[in-house]
Amino acid sequence: MTWDWSYAVEIVPNLMVGVWYTILVTLASSAIALIGGLLLAILEIASTRLGRTFVRFWLELARGVPILILLYFTFYVLPQLGITIPAIPIGIGVLGVVYAAYCSEVYRGSLITIPTELRDACVALNLSQYVTWQRVLVPLMIKRAVPALLNYVLGLFRETAMLFAIGVPVLMGEAQVAGNESFRFLEPFTLAGIIYMAMNLPFLYLLSRYKDKHA
Amino acid sequence: MLSAAEFSHSRPFVPEAATEAHGVAPKSKHAKWAIEFERISKFFGAHRVLVDLDLQVQPGEKVTLIGPSGSGKTTVLRLAMTLEKPTGGDIRIFGESILFDSAGKPLSTSQEARIRRRCGMVFQQFNLFPHLTVLQNLVLAPTTVLRQSKEQAENTALEYLRMVGLEGKVHAYPAQLSGGQQQRIAIARALILKPEILLLDEITSALDPELAGEVLDVVRGVAHETKVTLLIVTHEMRFAREVSDRIAVFDAGRIIEQGSPDKIFSYPECDRTRAFLQSVLNH
Ligand SMILES: Nc1ncnc2c1ncn2[C@@H]1O[C@H](COP(=O)(O)OP(=O)(O)O)[C@@H](O)[C@H]1O
Ligand SMILES: [Mg+2]
Repeated sequence: MTWDWSYAVEIVPNLMVGVWYTILVTLASSAIALIGGLLLAILEIASTRLGRTFVRFWLELARGVPILILLYFTFYVLPQLGITIPAIPIGIGVLGVVYAAYCSEVYRGSLITIPTELRDACVALNLSQYVTWQRVLVPLMIKRAVPALLNYVLGLFRETAMLFAIGVPVLMGEAQVAGNESFRFLEPFTLAGIIYMAMNLPFLYLLSRYKDKHA
Repeated sequence: MLSAAEFSHSRPFVPEAATEAHGVAPKSKHAKWAIEFERISKFFGAHRVLVDLDLQVQPGEKVTLIGPSGSGKTTVLRLAMTLEKPTGGDIRIFGESILFDSAGKPLSTSQEARIRRRCGMVFQQFNLFPHLTVLQNLVLAPTTVLRQSKEQAENTALEYLRMVGLEGKVHAYPAQLSGGQQQRIAIARALILKPEILLLDEITSALDPELAGEVLDVVRGVAHETKVTLLIVTHEMRFAREVSDRIAVFDAGRIIEQGSPDKIFSYPECDRTRAFLQSVLNH
């Protein structure tokens, strides 16, 4: 098995398409995860007991079921029930929802580190519940949660590779297609691995910057 | 930092805009008391913290609560600020209950908020919002609660910053300030809402002695130059003697003795008061 440079160069454009889809899917599902997770955390904390139980159940479901099953279920089973959604929105949605569950845990964790005295100060200043959340609790929650959230975004980015299973042309999918067409797998998967790793670097840089700044 | 005396020579201590609102005549005609605790009891679980407590404070009066740690002083202030609910009894602010409406039903959140607006509180740990600058800390409530324009709120905030001698720190974050500076900001943040009753809970206990002085100077200024009703918890006996009209001595959830500072410090009646004063004065 020898490395074929000309073949490697030939598949780079296809892999770049995969890179593009990977970025798209990562950004879109991260947005769902980060915002959805925050809303879930607030809902769980501010809701009634019944609401809390519902949110918890839903979170356990999202975290307990393998992503592949969620993907296959929405891709293969829902159409039989008459609901057909294209692969890309399914991929974005499933990753977003699952990671929203993880992120909500992070937000909740950071909320309980906010001293109750700050809430007392909000009451003493007569801030409404809405202002208290919007201007005090949520900003502090986010600030404390950033490093852990970035770690999850990193994990989500890696898991986008799974979406090739339902045909989303992410980097992993493009590598698979290239391999299948030529029966050469060394170059596509080696390159894909290297590109995935290189794409990690900006995240890691951000993470270390943030940690330096807020250490 | 100027001392209170120098301060008041150079300019009015409290911004003019504020003076007419501080300690305005009670809105309810029959309100004899600014704040009134009636047979208040408070349990935390099975632990009885306040025992049938009665306390009345006149509008404009400066009352200081002293007593051993754990005797229930903080709880009294927290009850007044609606940070805690009593187990029994009633609390009235300018004649209006902060617990029940006229039909005896618990107040709604908005009714409670309306009455609570007449109180402000400053805490031992300052409790400034760490992610906001000094100016943002000061304008948050005015722009959201009082719905002032940003410009108006900022102008007022600057006046109050000048009053506490920190106009140079407008854009600093709390973590960049000394404890004494943070506490002066916290006082300004409370005063800016023009409370008629100001609750001060051991506001110098977390400070080194040299920083405590600058905070007490600010409170002296407020006490002497406004009509705000003050309810103070402190271990600074000299300060208590200076600013208080009346001292109430707490012990195990009861007021065991109250009276003028002279009476309490020079002629205490209860043995427990004497023992307590001895223990603090020897420190
Ligand atoms: N949130 C709470 N839960 C349980 N116990 C409390 C709580 N707050 C205060 N206590 C108890 O109530 C008693 C009175 O406390 P506090 O009012 O803070 O006293 P002081 O301010 O005079 O030191 C103490 O024994 C304290 O441990
Ligand atoms: Mg206390």
